[in-house]
Amino acid sequence: MSTRDLFDVGGRTERYRTVLSENWFAYLLIMPVLLFLVVLMWLPFMQGIYMSFNEWPFGGDPTWVGLANYEFLLNWEPFYTSLKATVIFSLTTLFQLVVALAAALAVRELRRGKSFVSAAFLLSYTMPPLVIGTIWAYLLEPDFGPVFGYLTQWNVLEETIYWGSSGSMSLAVVIFVTTWTFWPFMFLIISASLESIPEELYESARMYGANPLQTFLRVTLPQLKSAILVALSIRIIWNMTKISQVLQLTNGGPGYDTSILAVLLYQFAYERGQMGVSYAIGIVLLLMTLGFVFVFIREFERASEGAGA
Amino acid sequence: MSATGYDATAVTLKTAAYGVVAFLVLANLIPLLFILSVSFMPPSEFFTDPHLVPYEPTLEAWSTGFEDLRENLLNSFLIGAGTALLALTITIPGAYAFARKEFYGKTAGFYAIISAMMFPYILLVIPIMDLWTALGLYNTVFGMILAYQVFVTPFSIWILRDFFENLPTDIEEAAQVYGCTQFTAFLRVILPLAAPGIVAVGFLAFLTGWNDFLFANLLTTGTGPVPAVPVLYGTIGGGSGERVYWGKLMAETLIIGIPPTIIYLAARSHLESAFNV
Repeated sequence: MSTRDLFDVGGRTERYRTVLSENWFAYLLIMPVLLFLVVLMWLPFMQGIYMSFNEWPFGGDPTWVGLANYEFLLNWEPFYTSLKATVIFSLTTLFQLVVALAAALAVRELRRGKSFVSAAFLLSYTMPPLVIGTIWAYLLEPDFGPVFGYLTQWNVLEETIYWGSSGSMSLAVVIFVTTWTFWPFMFLIISASLESIPEELYESARMYGANPLQTFLRVTLPQLKSAILVALSIRIIWNMTKISQVLQLTNGGPGYDTSILAVLLYQFAYERGQMGVSYAIGIVLLLMTLGFVFVFIREFERASEGAGA
Repeated sequence: MSATGYDATAVTLKTAAYGVVAFLVLANLIPLLFILSVSFMPPSEFFTDPHLVPYEPTLEAWSTGFEDLRENLLNSFLIGAGTALLALTITIPGAYAFARKEFYGKTAGFYAIISAMMFPYILLVIPIMDLWTALGLYNTVFGMILAYQVFVTPFSIWILRDFFENLPTDIEEAAQVYGCTQFTAFLRVILPLAAPGIVAVGFLAFLTGWNDFLFANLLTTGTGPVPAVPVLYGTIGGGSGERVYWGKLMAETLIIGIPPTIIYLAARSHLESAFNV
Protein backbone atom coordinates (compact mmCIF):
# COMPACT_ATOMS: atom_id res chain seq x y z
CA MET A 1 0.00 0.00 0.00
CA SER A 2 1.44 3.38 -0.95
CA THR A 3 1.81 6.37 1.34
CA ARG A 4 -0.67 8.33 -0.72
CA ASP A 5 -3.34 5.86 0.34
CA LEU A 6 -2.41 6.18 4.01
CA PHE A 7 -3.06 9.91 4.14
CA ASP A 8 -6.07 9.91 1.90
CA VAL A 9 -8.38 8.94 4.77
CA GLY A 10 -11.58 10.28 3.29
CA GLY A 11 -10.94 8.53 0.00
CA ARG A 12 -10.16 5.29 1.77
CA THR A 13 -13.35 5.15 3.82
CA GLU A 14 -15.25 6.05 0.71
CA ARG A 15 -13.54 3.25 -1.20
CA TYR A 16 -14.11 0.75 1.60
CA ARG A 17 -17.73 1.70 1.66
CA THR A 18 -18.16 1.05 -2.06
CA VAL A 19 -16.13 -2.17 -1.85
CA LEU A 20 -18.24 -3.27 1.07
CA SER A 21 -21.52 -2.52 -0.63
CA GLU A 22 -20.36 -4.31 -3.75
CA ASN A 23 -19.03 -7.19 -1.67
CA TRP A 24 -22.26 -7.35 0.22
CA PHE A 25 -24.03 -8.50 -2.92
CA ALA A 26 -21.32 -11.06 -3.72
CA TYR A 27 -21.41 -12.41 -0.18
CA LEU A 28 -25.15 -12.75 -0.45
CA LEU A 29 -24.70 -14.78 -3.63
CA ILE A 30 -22.25 -17.25 -2.14
CA MET A 31 -24.10 -17.47 1.16
CA PRO A 32 -26.35 -20.42 0.23
CA VAL A 33 -23.46 -22.70 -0.78
CA LEU A 34 -21.41 -21.81 2.25
CA LEU A 35 -24.38 -22.28 4.52
CA PHE A 36 -25.14 -25.71 3.07
CA LEU A 37 -21.56 -26.84 3.38
CA VAL A 38 -21.32 -25.67 6.97
CA VAL A 39 -24.59 -27.33 7.94
CA LEU A 40 -24.15 -30.51 5.91
CA MET A 41 -20.41 -30.99 6.16
CA TRP A 42 -18.67 -29.18 8.92
CA LEU A 43 -21.30 -29.54 11.64
CA PRO A 44 -21.82 -33.28 11.06
CA PHE A 45 -18.06 -33.70 10.83
CA MET A 46 -17.55 -31.97 14.18
CA GLN A 47 -20.33 -34.01 15.70
CA GLY A 48 -18.65 -37.12 14.29
CA ILE A 49 -15.37 -36.28 15.97
CA TYR A 50 -17.24 -35.89 19.24
CA MET A 51 -19.02 -39.17 18.47
CA SER A 52 -15.74 -41.03 18.17
CA PHE A 53 -15.04 -40.33 21.85
CA ASN A 54 -18.33 -41.83 22.91
CA GLU A 55 -20.06 -45.11 23.02
CA TRP A 56 -22.88 -44.17 20.70
CA PRO A 57 -25.59 -46.68 19.77
CA PHE A 58 -27.64 -45.73 16.69
CA GLY A 59 -30.41 -43.34 17.66
CA GLY A 60 -29.48 -43.74 21.33
CA ASP A 61 -27.77 -41.68 24.00
CA PRO A 62 -24.00 -41.30 24.06
CA THR A 63 -21.71 -42.22 26.92
CA TRP A 64 -18.33 -40.53 27.06
CA VAL A 65 -15.57 -43.11 26.82
CA GLY A 66 -12.57 -40.97 25.87
CA LEU A 67 -10.10 -42.79 23.66
CA ALA A 68 -11.60 -46.22 24.27
CA ASN A 69 -12.89 -46.60 20.68
CA TYR A 70 -9.43 -45.90 19.29
CA GLU A 71 -7.86 -48.18 21.84
CA PHE A 72 -10.25 -50.94 20.86
CA LEU A 73 -9.30 -50.58 17.20
CA LEU A 74 -5.59 -50.60 17.81
CA ASN A 75 -5.87 -53.78 19.83
CA TRP A 76 -8.21 -55.48 17.41
CA GLU A 77 -6.51 -57.85 14.99
CA PRO A 78 -8.92 -57.42 12.01
CA PHE A 79 -8.25 -53.67 12.05
CA TYR A 80 -4.76 -54.36 10.73
CA THR A 81 -6.11 -56.78 8.11
CA SER A 82 -8.37 -53.95 7.04
CA LEU A 83 -5.54 -51.41 6.92
CA LYS A 84 -3.52 -53.75 4.75
CA ALA A 85 -6.48 -54.31 2.43
CA THR A 86 -6.97 -50.55 2.18
CA VAL A 87 -3.38 -49.94 1.15
CA ILE A 88 -3.49 -52.74 -1.45
CA PHE A 89 -6.87 -51.58 -2.68
CA SER A 90 -5.50 -48.08 -3.27
CA LEU A 91 -3.45 -49.62 -6.09
CA THR A 92 -6.63 -49.59 -8.13
CA THR A 93 -6.07 -45.86 -8.55
CA LEU A 94 -2.75 -46.48 -10.30
CA PHE A 95 -4.29 -49.10 -12.58
CA GLN A 96 -7.03 -46.64 -13.44
CA LEU A 97 -4.41 -44.06 -14.29
CA VAL A 98 -2.48 -46.39 -16.56
CA VAL A 99 -5.60 -47.46 -18.47
CA ALA A 100 -6.90 -43.89 -18.68
CA LEU A 101 -3.60 -42.52 -19.93
CA ALA A 102 -3.24 -45.24 -22.56
CA ALA A 103 -6.83 -44.70 -23.64
CA ALA A 104 -6.50 -40.92 -23.85
CA LEU A 105 -3.30 -41.09 -25.88
CA ALA A 106 -4.76 -43.76 -28.18
CA VAL A 107 -8.01 -41.92 -28.78
CA ARG A 108 -6.04 -38.83 -29.73
CA GLU A 109 -4.54 -40.77 -32.64
CA LEU A 110 -7.93 -41.70 -34.07
CA ARG A 111 -9.12 -39.88 -37.14
CA ARG A 112 -12.72 -40.95 -37.04
CA GLY A 113 -15.08 -42.45 -34.51
CA LYS A 114 -13.66 -40.53 -31.54
CA SER A 115 -17.12 -39.75 -30.33
CA PHE A 116 -18.29 -43.36 -30.51
CA VAL A 117 -15.18 -44.63 -28.78
CA SER A 118 -15.30 -42.26 -25.85
CA ALA A 119 -19.03 -42.93 -25.49
CA ALA A 120 -18.29 -46.65 -25.27
CA PHE A 121 -15.59 -45.96 -22.70
CA LEU A 122 -17.99 -44.03 -20.53
CA LEU A 123 -20.67 -46.70 -20.31
CA SER A 124 -19.17 -48.40 -17.29
CA TYR A 125 -18.81 -45.13 -15.45
CA THR A 126 -22.33 -43.86 -16.02
CA MET A 127 -24.17 -46.75 -14.46
CA PRO A 128 -24.56 -46.81 -10.68
CA PRO A 129 -21.47 -48.48 -9.14
CA LEU A 130 -23.68 -50.93 -7.30
CA VAL A 131 -25.27 -51.96 -10.59
CA ILE A 132 -21.82 -52.62 -12.05
CA GLY A 133 -20.92 -54.53 -8.90
CA THR A 134 -24.01 -56.70 -9.33
CA ILE A 135 -23.23 -57.29 -13.00
CA TRP A 136 -19.70 -58.47 -12.23
CA ALA A 137 -20.90 -60.58 -9.33
CA TYR A 138 -22.85 -62.51 -11.95
CA LEU A 139 -20.16 -62.52 -14.64
CA LEU A 140 -17.57 -63.82 -12.18
CA GLU A 141 -19.85 -66.27 -10.39
CA PRO A 142 -17.69 -69.42 -10.06
CA ASP A 143 -20.38 -72.01 -10.85
CA PHE A 144 -22.35 -70.64 -13.77
CA GLY A 145 -20.98 -67.15 -14.45
CA PRO A 146 -19.84 -66.83 -18.07
CA VAL A 147 -16.25 -65.72 -17.36
CA PHE A 148 -15.20 -68.94 -15.65
CA GLY A 149 -17.61 -70.86 -17.84
CA TYR A 150 -15.73 -69.83 -20.97
CA LEU A 151 -12.30 -70.09 -19.37
CA THR A 152 -12.90 -73.72 -18.42
CA GLN A 153 -14.65 -74.49 -21.70
CA TRP A 154 -11.67 -73.16 -23.68
CA ASN A 155 -9.31 -75.06 -21.38
CA VAL A 156 -7.60 -71.90 -20.19
CA LEU A 157 -8.43 -73.05 -16.68
CA GLU A 158 -8.85 -76.61 -15.59
CA GLU A 159 -11.55 -75.79 -13.14
CA THR A 160 -13.34 -72.73 -11.92
CA ILE A 161 -11.87 -70.56 -9.17
CA TYR A 162 -13.83 -70.03 -5.99
CA TRP A 163 -12.28 -66.64 -5.44
CA GLY A 164 -14.78 -65.80 -2.71
CA SER A 165 -13.01 -68.08 -0.27
CA SER A 166 -9.50 -66.78 -0.86
CA GLY A 167 -8.57 -63.41 0.59
CA SER A 168 -6.03 -62.40 -2.01
CA MET A 169 -8.20 -63.59 -4.92
CA SER A 170 -11.16 -61.66 -3.53
CA LEU A 171 -9.05 -58.56 -3.23
CA ALA A 172 -7.83 -59.02 -6.81
CA VAL A 173 -11.42 -59.32 -8.06
CA VAL A 174 -12.45 -56.20 -6.14
CA ILE A 175 -9.49 -54.26 -7.56
CA PHE A 176 -10.24 -55.48 -11.08
CA VAL A 177 -13.90 -54.50 -10.96
CA THR A 178 -13.14 -51.12 -9.38
CA THR A 179 -10.56 -50.37 -12.05
CA TRP A 180 -12.96 -51.45 -14.80
CA THR A 181 -15.67 -49.19 -13.43
CA PHE A 182 -13.87 -45.98 -12.59
CA TRP A 183 -11.05 -45.47 -15.09
CA PRO A 184 -13.28 -43.47 -17.47
CA PHE A 185 -13.41 -40.59 -15.00
CA MET A 186 -9.65 -40.19 -15.20
CA PHE A 187 -9.91 -40.61 -18.95
CA LEU A 188 -12.32 -37.66 -19.09
CA ILE A 189 -9.99 -35.35 -17.20
CA ILE A 190 -6.82 -36.46 -18.95
CA SER A 191 -8.20 -36.36 -22.46
CA ALA A 192 -9.73 -32.94 -21.90
CA SER A 193 -6.33 -31.71 -20.81
CA LEU A 194 -4.64 -33.47 -23.72
CA GLU A 195 -6.88 -31.65 -26.18
CA SER A 196 -5.76 -28.31 -24.83
CA ILE A 197 -2.01 -28.85 -25.34
CA PRO A 198 -0.99 -26.27 -27.96
CA GLU A 199 -0.10 -27.80 -31.33
CA GLU A 200 2.97 -25.52 -31.58
CA LEU A 201 4.69 -27.49 -28.85
CA TYR A 202 4.46 -30.62 -30.96
CA GLU A 203 5.60 -28.79 -34.05
CA SER A 204 8.72 -27.49 -32.39
CA ALA A 205 9.40 -30.94 -30.93
CA ARG A 206 9.21 -32.30 -34.48
CA MET A 207 11.52 -29.57 -35.73
CA TYR A 208 14.15 -30.55 -33.18
CA GLY A 209 13.81 -34.14 -34.34
CA ALA A 210 12.38 -35.56 -31.14
CA ASN A 211 11.21 -39.15 -31.37
CA PRO A 212 7.73 -40.11 -30.13
CA LEU A 213 9.00 -41.22 -26.72
CA GLN A 214 10.92 -37.99 -26.23
CA THR A 215 7.90 -36.00 -27.34
CA PHE A 216 5.76 -37.85 -24.83
CA LEU A 217 8.22 -37.36 -21.97
CA ARG A 218 9.16 -33.76 -22.72
CA VAL A 219 5.94 -32.31 -24.10
CA THR A 220 2.89 -34.39 -23.30
CA LEU A 221 3.66 -35.56 -19.79
CA PRO A 222 4.71 -32.17 -18.35
CA GLN A 223 1.60 -30.59 -19.87
CA LEU A 224 -0.59 -33.28 -18.36
CA LYS A 225 1.02 -33.14 -14.94
CA SER A 226 -1.64 -31.05 -13.24
CA ALA A 227 -4.50 -32.99 -14.77
CA ILE A 228 -2.93 -36.27 -13.74
CA LEU A 229 -2.33 -35.14 -10.18
CA VAL A 230 -5.82 -33.71 -9.85
CA ALA A 231 -7.37 -36.90 -11.24
CA LEU A 232 -5.16 -39.11 -9.13
CA SER A 233 -5.87 -37.34 -5.88
CA ILE A 234 -9.63 -37.14 -6.50
CA ARG A 235 -9.79 -40.79 -7.43
CA ILE A 236 -7.71 -41.99 -4.49
CA ILE A 237 -10.09 -40.37 -2.06
CA TRP A 238 -13.19 -41.44 -3.94
CA ASN A 239 -11.98 -45.01 -4.34
CA MET A 240 -11.19 -45.24 -0.66
CA THR A 241 -14.68 -44.13 0.30
CA LYS A 242 -16.78 -46.03 -2.26
CA ILE A 243 -18.06 -49.21 -0.73
CA SER A 244 -20.95 -50.45 -2.82
CA GLN A 245 -18.95 -52.69 -5.16
CA VAL A 246 -16.92 -54.26 -2.41
CA LEU A 247 -20.06 -54.94 -0.41
CA GLN A 248 -21.83 -56.46 -3.37
CA LEU A 249 -18.88 -58.59 -4.52
CA THR A 250 -17.46 -59.89 -1.25
CA ASN A 251 -19.33 -58.23 1.61
CA GLY A 252 -15.89 -57.51 3.07
CA GLY A 253 -14.96 -61.19 3.28
CA PRO A 254 -13.65 -63.78 3.45
CA GLY A 255 -13.08 -62.86 7.09
CA TYR A 256 -11.93 -59.27 6.95
CA ASP A 257 -9.65 -59.72 3.93
CA THR A 258 -11.51 -57.25 1.70
CA SER A 259 -12.92 -55.08 4.49
CA ILE A 260 -11.22 -51.88 3.44
CA LEU A 261 -11.60 -49.17 6.10
CA ALA A 262 -14.72 -47.71 4.49
CA VAL A 263 -16.40 -51.12 4.53
CA LEU A 264 -15.38 -51.66 8.12
CA LEU A 265 -16.85 -48.27 8.99
CA TYR A 266 -20.07 -49.21 7.23
CA GLN A 267 -20.29 -52.53 9.03
CA PHE A 268 -19.82 -50.95 12.45
CA ALA A 269 -22.47 -48.34 11.74
CA TYR A 270 -25.01 -50.43 9.90
CA GLU A 271 -24.68 -53.94 11.19
CA ARG A 272 -23.50 -53.34 14.73
CA GLY A 273 -24.92 -49.89 15.37
CA GLN A 274 -21.70 -48.75 17.05
CA MET A 275 -21.47 -45.22 15.72
CA GLY A 276 -18.56 -44.21 17.96
CA VAL A 277 -16.24 -46.97 16.79
CA SER A 278 -17.41 -46.44 13.25
CA TYR A 279 -16.40 -42.78 13.35
CA ALA A 280 -13.07 -43.59 14.93
CA ILE A 281 -12.40 -45.73 11.85
CA GLY A 282 -13.45 -42.78 9.74
CA ILE A 283 -10.89 -40.55 11.42
CA VAL A 284 -8.16 -43.06 10.59
CA LEU A 285 -9.36 -43.10 6.97
CA LEU A 286 -9.38 -39.31 6.89
CA LEU A 287 -5.81 -39.12 8.19
CA MET A 288 -4.73 -41.59 5.51
CA THR A 289 -6.17 -39.48 2.71
CA LEU A 290 -5.46 -35.98 3.99
CA GLY A 291 -2.22 -35.46 2.07
CA PHE A 292 -4.00 -35.96 -1.25
CA VAL A 293 -6.31 -33.07 -0.53
CA PHE A 294 -3.34 -30.74 -0.43
CA VAL A 295 -1.92 -32.16 -3.63
CA PHE A 296 -5.30 -31.68 -5.26
CA ILE A 297 -5.73 -28.08 -4.19
CA ARG A 298 -2.17 -27.10 -5.12
CA GLU A 299 -2.42 -28.63 -8.58
CA PHE A 300 -5.91 -27.33 -9.16
CA GLU A 301 -4.76 -23.84 -8.34
CA ARG A 302 -1.72 -24.17 -10.58
CA ALA A 303 -3.86 -25.42 -13.46
CA SER A 304 -6.39 -22.62 -13.04
CA GLU A 305 -3.67 -19.99 -12.99
CA GLY A 306 -2.18 -21.45 -16.14
CA ALA A 307 -5.55 -21.35 -17.85
CA GLY A 308 -6.16 -17.78 -16.75
CA ALA A 309 -2.83 -16.46 -17.99
CA MET B 1 17.01 -40.30 -38.03
CA SER B 2 15.89 -41.16 -41.57
CA ALA B 3 12.47 -40.22 -42.83
CA THR B 4 11.53 -43.86 -43.39
CA GLY B 5 12.54 -44.74 -39.83
CA TYR B 6 10.23 -42.10 -38.52
CA ASP B 7 7.39 -43.36 -40.69
CA ALA B 8 7.86 -46.89 -39.40
CA THR B 9 7.57 -45.69 -35.78
CA ALA B 10 4.54 -43.65 -36.74
CA VAL B 11 2.89 -46.71 -38.25
CA THR B 12 3.71 -48.80 -35.17
CA LEU B 13 2.26 -46.10 -32.96
CA LYS B 14 -0.92 -45.89 -35.00
CA THR B 15 -1.33 -49.65 -34.85
CA ALA B 16 -0.75 -49.66 -31.11
CA ALA B 17 -3.28 -46.89 -30.67
CA TYR B 18 -5.92 -48.73 -32.66
CA GLY B 19 -5.14 -51.90 -30.72
CA VAL B 20 -5.60 -50.17 -27.36
CA VAL B 21 -8.85 -48.58 -28.49
CA ALA B 22 -10.24 -51.83 -29.87
CA PHE B 23 -9.30 -53.74 -26.74
CA LEU B 24 -10.86 -51.21 -24.40
CA VAL B 25 -14.05 -50.83 -26.42
CA LEU B 26 -14.51 -54.60 -26.41
CA ALA B 27 -13.61 -54.85 -22.72
CA ASN B 28 -16.34 -52.32 -22.03
CA LEU B 29 -19.01 -53.56 -24.36
CA ILE B 30 -18.77 -57.35 -24.15
CA PRO B 31 -19.65 -57.67 -20.44
CA LEU B 32 -22.62 -55.37 -20.95
CA LEU B 33 -23.75 -57.24 -24.06
CA PHE B 34 -23.60 -60.44 -22.07
CA ILE B 35 -25.79 -58.97 -19.37
CA LEU B 36 -28.25 -57.82 -22.00
CA SER B 37 -28.46 -61.31 -23.39
CA VAL B 38 -28.81 -62.98 -19.98
CA SER B 39 -31.71 -60.69 -19.17
CA PHE B 40 -33.61 -62.34 -22.03
CA MET B 41 -32.81 -65.91 -20.99
CA PRO B 42 -35.29 -68.15 -19.22
CA PRO B 43 -33.95 -69.50 -15.88
CA SER B 44 -33.19 -72.95 -17.28
CA GLU B 45 -30.59 -71.54 -19.66
CA PHE B 46 -28.23 -70.19 -16.96
CA PHE B 47 -27.14 -73.64 -16.01
CA THR B 48 -26.17 -74.82 -19.47
CA ASP B 49 -22.86 -73.89 -21.09
CA PRO B 50 -22.37 -70.14 -21.47
CA HIS B 51 -23.71 -68.72 -24.72
CA LEU B 52 -24.22 -65.19 -25.93
CA VAL B 53 -27.49 -65.48 -27.86
CA PRO B 54 -30.41 -66.87 -25.83
CA TYR B 55 -31.92 -70.05 -27.31
CA GLU B 56 -35.43 -69.16 -26.26
CA PRO B 57 -35.56 -65.44 -25.50
CA THR B 58 -38.21 -64.27 -23.10
CA LEU B 59 -39.33 -60.89 -21.79
CA GLU B 60 -40.38 -62.31 -18.46
CA ALA B 61 -37.38 -61.00 -16.49
CA TRP B 62 -37.93 -57.50 -17.83
CA SER B 63 -41.62 -57.35 -17.07
CA THR B 64 -41.33 -58.75 -13.54
CA GLY B 65 -38.28 -56.55 -13.00
CA PHE B 66 -40.23 -53.45 -13.95
CA GLU B 67 -43.16 -54.55 -11.85
CA ASP B 68 -41.01 -55.04 -8.76
CA LEU B 69 -39.07 -51.82 -9.15
CA ARG B 70 -41.82 -49.45 -10.18
CA GLU B 71 -42.15 -47.63 -6.90
CA ASN B 72 -38.40 -47.55 -6.27
CA LEU B 73 -37.77 -46.10 -9.71
CA LEU B 74 -40.27 -43.35 -8.98
CA ASN B 75 -38.44 -42.61 -5.71
CA SER B 76 -35.11 -42.53 -7.54
CA PHE B 77 -36.54 -40.13 -10.07
CA LEU B 78 -37.97 -37.79 -7.43
CA ILE B 79 -34.73 -37.82 -5.47
CA GLY B 80 -32.61 -37.21 -8.58
CA ALA B 81 -34.80 -34.39 -9.86
CA GLY B 82 -35.04 -32.77 -6.44
CA THR B 83 -31.29 -32.98 -5.96
CA ALA B 84 -30.73 -31.29 -9.31
CA LEU B 85 -33.22 -28.49 -8.68
CA LEU B 86 -31.97 -27.69 -5.21
CA ALA B 87 -28.33 -27.84 -6.33
CA LEU B 88 -28.93 -25.37 -9.15
CA THR B 89 -30.82 -23.01 -6.87
CA ILE B 90 -27.95 -22.93 -4.41
CA THR B 91 -24.98 -22.95 -6.73
CA ILE B 92 -25.93 -20.66 -9.63
CA PRO B 93 -25.68 -17.48 -7.53
CA GLY B 94 -22.50 -18.69 -5.85
CA ALA B 95 -20.78 -19.73 -9.06
CA TYR B 96 -21.75 -16.43 -10.64
CA ALA B 97 -20.21 -14.50 -7.77
CA PHE B 98 -17.00 -16.52 -7.93
CA ALA B 99 -16.73 -15.99 -11.67
CA ARG B 100 -17.71 -12.35 -12.06
CA LYS B 101 -17.36 -10.48 -8.79
CA GLU B 102 -14.30 -9.35 -6.94
CA PHE B 103 -14.59 -9.56 -3.21
CA TYR B 104 -12.48 -10.05 -0.15
CA GLY B 105 -11.85 -13.73 0.60
CA LYS B 106 -12.83 -14.88 -2.87
CA THR B 107 -9.95 -17.32 -3.43
CA ALA B 108 -10.12 -18.74 0.06
CA GLY B 109 -13.87 -19.20 -0.23
CA PHE B 110 -13.59 -20.89 -3.59
CA TYR B 111 -11.04 -23.40 -2.38
CA ALA B 112 -13.01 -24.00 0.79
CA ILE B 113 -15.88 -25.10 -1.44
CA ILE B 114 -13.84 -27.00 -4.04
CA SER B 115 -11.89 -28.91 -1.42
CA ALA B 116 -15.21 -30.17 -0.07
CA MET B 117 -15.18 -32.34 -3.19
CA MET B 118 -12.32 -34.19 -1.59
CA PHE B 119 -14.08 -34.87 1.67
CA PRO B 120 -14.53 -38.58 2.34
CA TYR B 121 -18.31 -38.52 2.26
CA ILE B 122 -18.64 -41.78 4.10
CA LEU B 123 -17.56 -39.83 7.18
CA LEU B 124 -20.67 -37.70 6.95
CA VAL B 125 -23.25 -40.39 6.65
CA ILE B 126 -23.02 -41.49 10.28
CA PRO B 127 -23.58 -38.11 11.94
CA ILE B 128 -26.12 -37.21 9.26
CA MET B 129 -28.04 -40.40 10.07
CA ASP B 130 -28.09 -39.33 13.68
CA LEU B 131 -28.99 -35.72 12.88
CA TRP B 132 -31.72 -36.68 10.41
CA THR B 133 -33.29 -38.98 12.99
CA ALA B 134 -33.42 -36.09 15.43
CA LEU B 135 -34.86 -33.70 12.83
CA GLY B 136 -37.43 -36.13 11.43
CA LEU B 137 -35.69 -36.15 8.05
CA TYR B 138 -34.60 -39.76 8.33
CA ASN B 139 -36.36 -41.98 5.81
CA THR B 140 -37.78 -39.11 3.73
CA VAL B 141 -37.23 -38.10 0.12
CA PHE B 142 -36.46 -34.54 1.18
CA GLY B 143 -33.89 -35.75 3.69
CA MET B 144 -32.03 -37.47 0.89
CA ILE B 145 -32.27 -34.54 -1.51
CA LEU B 146 -30.79 -32.36 1.21
CA ALA B 147 -28.03 -34.82 2.05
CA TYR B 148 -26.94 -35.20 -1.59
CA GLN B 149 -26.14 -31.49 -1.75
CA VAL B 150 -22.92 -32.24 0.02
CA PHE B 151 -21.75 -34.32 -2.97
CA VAL B 152 -23.20 -32.07 -5.61
CA THR B 153 -22.57 -28.46 -4.64
CA PRO B 154 -18.74 -28.40 -4.81
CA PHE B 155 -18.85 -30.01 -8.24
CA SER B 156 -21.51 -27.65 -9.50
CA ILE B 157 -19.61 -24.59 -8.33
CA TRP B 158 -16.48 -25.82 -10.07
CA ILE B 159 -18.22 -26.45 -13.40
CA LEU B 160 -20.56 -23.45 -13.39
CA ARG B 161 -17.86 -20.98 -12.43
CA ASP B 162 -15.94 -21.90 -15.56
CA PHE B 163 -19.02 -21.39 -17.70
CA PHE B 164 -19.75 -17.98 -16.23
CA GLU B 165 -16.11 -16.98 -16.49
CA ASN B 166 -15.95 -17.74 -20.19
CA LEU B 167 -18.82 -15.43 -21.10
CA PRO B 168 -17.78 -12.05 -22.48
CA THR B 169 -17.34 -9.53 -19.67
CA ASP B 170 -19.06 -6.54 -21.18
CA ILE B 171 -22.27 -8.35 -21.93
CA GLU B 172 -24.03 -7.41 -18.71
CA GLU B 173 -22.98 -3.80 -18.99
CA ALA B 174 -24.41 -3.73 -22.47
CA ALA B 175 -27.67 -5.14 -21.17
CA GLN B 176 -27.71 -2.55 -18.41
CA VAL B 177 -27.24 0.22 -20.95
CA TYR B 178 -30.38 -1.07 -22.62
CA GLY B 179 -32.30 -0.65 -19.38
CA CYS B 180 -31.85 -3.94 -17.55
CA THR B 181 -31.14 -3.94 -13.84
CA GLN B 182 -28.26 -6.05 -12.59
CA PHE B 183 -30.71 -8.79 -11.77
CA THR B 184 -32.71 -8.79 -14.99
CA ALA B 185 -29.45 -8.65 -16.96
CA PHE B 186 -28.39 -11.78 -15.15
CA LEU B 187 -31.73 -13.46 -15.70
CA ARG B 188 -32.24 -12.57 -19.35
CA VAL B 189 -28.71 -12.47 -20.69
CA ILE B 190 -26.32 -14.47 -18.55
CA LEU B 191 -28.49 -17.43 -17.64
CA PRO B 192 -29.46 -18.33 -21.21
CA LEU B 193 -25.83 -18.11 -22.31
CA ALA B 194 -24.71 -20.36 -19.49
CA ALA B 195 -27.49 -22.85 -20.28
CA PRO B 196 -25.15 -25.66 -21.43
CA GLY B 197 -23.30 -25.54 -18.13
CA ILE B 198 -26.53 -25.42 -16.20
CA VAL B 199 -27.86 -28.43 -18.07
CA ALA B 200 -24.62 -30.32 -17.45
CA VAL B 201 -24.72 -29.60 -13.74
CA GLY B 202 -28.38 -30.53 -13.56
CA PHE B 203 -27.64 -33.90 -15.17
CA LEU B 204 -24.69 -34.61 -12.90
CA ALA B 205 -26.77 -33.78 -9.85
CA PHE B 206 -29.59 -35.98 -11.07
CA LEU B 207 -27.17 -38.84 -11.63
CA THR B 208 -25.79 -38.46 -8.13
CA GLY B 209 -29.26 -38.81 -6.69
CA TRP B 210 -30.03 -41.73 -8.98
CA ASN B 211 -26.74 -43.63 -8.71
CA ASP B 212 -25.80 -43.33 -5.08
CA PHE B 213 -25.96 -46.35 -2.84
CA LEU B 214 -24.43 -45.24 0.45
CA PHE B 215 -26.81 -42.50 1.52
CA ALA B 216 -29.73 -44.22 -0.17
CA ASN B 217 -29.18 -47.33 1.90
CA LEU B 218 -28.31 -45.69 5.19
CA LEU B 219 -30.91 -42.94 5.19
CA THR B 220 -33.90 -45.16 4.40
CA THR B 221 -35.49 -48.19 5.97
CA GLY B 222 -37.38 -51.00 4.28
CA THR B 223 -40.67 -49.18 4.75
CA GLY B 224 -39.50 -45.77 3.57
CA PRO B 225 -39.05 -44.20 0.14
CA VAL B 226 -36.32 -46.63 -0.96
CA PRO B 227 -34.75 -45.70 -4.29
CA ALA B 228 -33.96 -48.38 -6.87
CA VAL B 229 -30.22 -48.92 -6.34
CA PRO B 230 -30.32 -50.33 -2.77
CA VAL B 231 -32.91 -52.88 -3.87
CA LEU B 232 -30.18 -54.72 -5.73
CA TYR B 233 -27.93 -54.82 -2.72
CA GLY B 234 -27.82 -58.04 -0.81
CA THR B 235 -29.64 -60.05 -3.45
CA ILE B 236 -26.36 -61.87 -3.93
CA GLY B 237 -24.18 -61.25 -0.90
CA GLY B 238 -27.08 -61.47 1.51
CA GLY B 239 -26.83 -65.24 1.49
CA SER B 240 -30.50 -65.80 2.19
CA GLY B 241 -30.08 -69.28 0.79
CA GLU B 242 -32.64 -68.68 -1.93
CA ARG B 243 -31.55 -69.29 -5.47
CA VAL B 244 -30.93 -66.02 -7.25
CA TYR B 245 -32.91 -65.57 -10.45
CA TRP B 246 -30.02 -64.05 -12.35
CA GLY B 247 -32.02 -63.17 -15.43
CA LYS B 248 -34.35 -60.97 -13.46
CA LEU B 249 -31.53 -59.49 -11.45
CA MET B 250 -29.65 -58.60 -14.63
CA ALA B 251 -32.79 -57.11 -16.20
CA GLU B 252 -33.10 -54.99 -13.06
CA THR B 253 -29.49 -53.84 -13.27
CA LEU B 254 -30.16 -52.70 -16.82
CA ILE B 255 -33.45 -51.04 -15.92
CA ILE B 256 -31.62 -49.04 -13.25
CA GLY B 257 -28.42 -48.54 -15.25
CA ILE B 258 -29.73 -47.49 -18.64
CA PRO B 259 -31.46 -44.18 -17.78
CA PRO B 260 -28.30 -42.55 -16.35
CA THR B 261 -26.33 -43.84 -19.33
CA ILE B 262 -28.69 -42.24 -21.81
CA ILE B 263 -28.64 -38.97 -19.88
CA TYR B 264 -24.87 -39.01 -19.66
CA LEU B 265 -24.39 -39.64 -23.34
CA ALA B 266 -26.83 -36.87 -24.18
CA ALA B 267 -24.98 -34.37 -21.98
CA ARG B 268 -21.50 -35.59 -22.80
CA SER B 269 -20.19 -32.73 -24.91
CA HIS B 270 -21.02 -30.22 -22.18
CA LEU B 271 -19.55 -32.39 -19.49
CA GLU B 272 -16.29 -32.88 -21.32
CA SER B 273 -15.67 -29.20 -21.78
CA ALA B 274 -16.43 -28.77 -18.11
CA PHE B 275 -13.73 -31.21 -17.08
CA ASN B 276 -10.92 -29.33 -18.76
CA VAL B 277 -8.54 -28.92 -15.81
